[in-house]
Amino acid sequence: MNIKRKKYPIFLGFILITTYLVFVDLVDGDWSSLENSLDNLSTFFYESLWPPNWKVIEAQSYPVCERNWDFLCSPAYIGITETLKIAFVATGLGFILSLPLATLASRNLYSDSIAIPFRLLLSAMRTLPSIIWAIFFVILVGLGPVSGVLAMTFYTIGYLGKMQYETIEGLSNDPLDAAKAMGLKNSEVIQRVVIPETANNLISQLFFMFEYNVRHGSVIGIVGAGGIGYYISTYLKFLQYDKVIALLIILFIVVVIIDLISIKARSYFVDGDTFKSPSLFENFFRVK
Amino acid sequence: MNNVINAIDLKIGYSSNSILANIEELKIKQGEIVSIIGESGIGKTTFLKNIAHLLKPISGTLEILNSDDTPERGEVGYIPQNLGLIKHETVFFNVLEGAICNESILRSISGLHEEKVIDKVEEAIELMNLSNKIDEPIKRLSGGQQRRVAIARTMAQGPKLILADEFLSELDDKTVESVWKAMMDYANSNDITLVIVEHNIERAKLADRCFKLEKNDEIEYSILSEVKI
Repeated sequence: MNIKRKKYPIFLGFILITTYLVFVDLVDGDWSSLENSLDNLSTFFYESLWPPNWKVIEAQSYPVCERNWDFLCSPAYIGITETLKIAFVATGLGFILSLPLATLASRNLYSDSIAIPFRLLLSAMRTLPSIIWAIFFVILVGLGPVSGVLAMTFYTIGYLGKMQYETIEGLSNDPLDAAKAMGLKNSEVIQRVVIPETANNLISQLFFMFEYNVRHGSVIGIVGAGGIGYYISTYLKFLQYDKVIALLIILFIVVVIIDLISIKARSYFVDGDTFKSPSLFENFFRVK
Repeated sequence: MNNVINAIDLKIGYSSNSILANIEELKIKQGEIVSIIGESGIGKTTFLKNIAHLLKPISGTLEILNSDDTPERGEVGYIPQNLGLIKHETVFFNVLEGAICNESILRSISGLHEEKVIDKVEEAIELMNLSNKIDEPIKRLSGGQQRRVAIARTMAQGPKLILADEFLSELDDKTVESVWKAMMDYANSNDITLVIVEHNIERAKLADRCFKLEKNDEIEYSILSEVKI
């Protein structure tokens, strides 16, 4: 133990030196681009980004919107609700489809001859980032939220599937052994051992994925797959960075709210005496 | 009387390069209570897992219930060292896991359990004096109560052979006595074969026969031999 601890500074030093050397190799002696970077950042921040332009929460003139409240016709509201809807449907579909694939990819439930092909399938789905899936589905089904849902669903299956099979493989062997020795079939073992034992982790991952998909709504929208990303992309094209930062702040607030809801929701799935739902302050500052 | 376990020249371990133990001959009859003792890491649990068909032997013959094939659904009950209970779930849920061996997979998966299956669960819980804990999650029970749940799960299953792996460890003497008695009474009254891996020699002596896995200086792996008690 002590020997391992003594090795930490050496290991950290090694990482620092290697990172520096690789960076120097990448820059190839041309440091001029970094010379004025702080000035550029300051100019860009104060002249283009700040203060945020809150017109994004006011009603837009087109398309015609007849809702009573201005905010309900604003790009921010329309964009974020569409992103939330896309992320919600994609996460739900992805979860339902990834769970059977993840169980088939778990080596403590199935032999390598079954598990490895399913791992490769999940890996292949994960290899393409959601933006590439979005481009693919925009070509396939056209611009709009449907291609966004399909893109996010495919990426969710690959990403969530990996987290799920790793959780399943981390299960203690004893409940699995007891069930298998009884002669229960794999479908029964999954229903009576795997799901109950991993439920909390699966739900936690589900919320994480939903939050991840909401964040990625800003990316896939850029290629025309709907949501808040469509507005971000439009403002970027017209160099309206103050509106972009306003939308990103709104997106950040939504992501924080989802994070808080997910922590609260988790506490319903784990009994009070083993999991204490943390307060808002504890969530951010890790105070116990 | 039929042999429930019949092992001849059996080599067990995790690969042919690392044989843990050799069992030259072992015949265990129906209704016998047998204990296996030996040092830690000598291969006791591995042997039990071979009998439970959770691991394959490296070589030799191992017949369980007159067949070298996987036993029928519900014929073998296995209580692992850490009991293998679902800690967040209730006593009823855990005991039901054993009882579903007595119904079709379709019924088990759909949750439309037969009445006799539910009766078996309630009967086993009552026999283990856990009726007042039926809806309690396992993690809220004491060590002794958790072991009773594991026995109730096996009772509800109704196996012909029970394999128990040091399931009495870390309990106080009084609790050990009551859990041990419950297990013995159940096995004796139902003519069930019971194989218990035990580190406590005094408790191991309570079995009909006792076997010891031990190494000698000449060979790398351990061998099983009967100990006179």
